[in-house]
Amino acid sequence: MVPADSETEPRRRPRRVYREGSEPDPRFTLANERTFLAWLRTALALMAGGVGVEALQAAQERTSPLGTLLAVVLLTGGILCSITAFVRWASTERALRTGSALPALRMAPAFGSGLAVIGVLACIFVLVIGF
Amino acid sequence: MLSERGRSDRGSSGHRGHSGPWDPGLQIERTTLAWSRTALAFVVATAVVIRLLAGTDVVLAAVCAALTLPLVVVISLLTWRRYRRDERSLHREAPLSDGALPGTVAAFTVLVGGLGLIYVLAN
Repeated sequence: MVPADSETEPRRRPRRVYREGSEPDPRFTLANERTFLAWLRTALALMAGGVGVEALQAAQERTSPLGTLLAVVLLTGGILCSITAFVRWASTERALRTGSALPALRMAPAFGSGLAVIGVLACIFVLVIGF
Repeated sequence: MLSERGRSDRGSSGHRGHSGPWDPGLQIERTTLAWSRTALAFVVATAVVIRLLAGTDVVLAAVCAALTLPLVVVISLLTWRRYRRDERSLHREAPLSDGALPGTVAAFTVLVGGLGLIYVLAN
């Protein structure tokens, strides 16, 4: 195993991920990368939902506070999701390098219940807008 | 670079000089396809945001298009370069690519979300 800070190793970013530990099994690194990308696509889906709600309101030529709230919640959720996706990728990669336990998926309960709230809001929104 | 389990899991078909893929799990190919799906999702999301922004403010929509769409092309090109580099690295048992591209793409996603928020609040 080549030490992480060997002079022969190219500088890799972010430094806080690569300054410790040694190279893990590449399959795990690549699986971590695919999980990160899946979270990014989830974030994009949330954002598309937010913009879609606003577009629906614009098409109906009526704006309800509930619809705007739903759009803002979806877009903010998407932004938070993409930030936490990268933070999680970095901490998982670091854990793989140091051989420590993988970070717990703390946001999973919040994400699940948040999606449930969004679903309820969307139902109310559809009923209010009159579909 | 691979753990002992990783090496033994490759099996006879995984060694160079034998038939079959070098990496039986096709890890790099699957990861590159995941990158492509994400780039495609970006194109769809940015196109939708730009189209909707055009209804509100044409100049803002043009600026957003000029900022985001070339970036999607750049990300796609970097993804394929990453694929070739990682494949070479796997053969040489060298380290895989770093987190620069994932970090950039995450920041780009935040930018797309910000554009969406501008659209909602401008309406």
